[in-house]
Amino acid sequence: MPPKKKIFTRRKVCRFCADKSLVIDYKEVKNLRNFLTERGKIIPRRIYGNCAKHQRQMTEAIKRARQIALMPYSGQMQP
Amino acid sequence: MRRYETIFIINPSVGEDEITAIIDKTTSIIEEFDGSIVNLDHWGLKKLAYPIKKELQGYYVFAEYAGKPEAVAEVERIFKIDDRILKFMTIKTQDVFVADAPKAEAENTEATEEEAQADA
Repeated sequence: MPPKKKIFTRRKVCRFCADKSLVIDYKEVKNLRNFLTERGKIIPRRIYGNCAKHQRQMTEAIKRARQIALMPYSGQMQP
Repeated sequence: MRRYETIFIINPSVGEDEITAIIDKTTSIIEEFDGSIVNLDHWGLKKLAYPIKKELQGYYVFAEYAGKPEAVAEVERIFKIDDRILKFMTIKTQDVFVADAPKAEAENTEATEEEAQADA
């Protein structure tokens, strides 16, 4: 068997840790929108490499925004 | 005193006068309980992400204030009774109210806040 090909992946860094000026706030839907699929699901943190802390804060913010109808529970988000 | 923020959505079919009346009433309740309004913001008519009570649009009002838990309970009790309020949400941002920390508060927010939400 040939040796397994090594796949190099760039280590993903949490963008909230890298840029402290980014604040996670449920009122700022524009920023949260990047972390949703087209269907309105929250994207898992393995995709963007968010750290656990910030992913937690983000999901919390998204869920709040959903509660007050700033974001959909499901389906497309209108601009 | 704690620092809270409340968002409530008013039915868009009610008039401008009624909207101001609702807001005045809310602020007076908060002040009755020795609270103080820090920031009152009319976001205005916004499209709802999903229909609430068959309405597709809502008039958003955002209020940030210092107050006691009893004030929040009273405000929410009134909101529940009022048909014109489509939905509301109150979030605690600080356990102990610090007067001027409009930006610094954002860091603490995630650590201390706690949700007190009820469906309209």
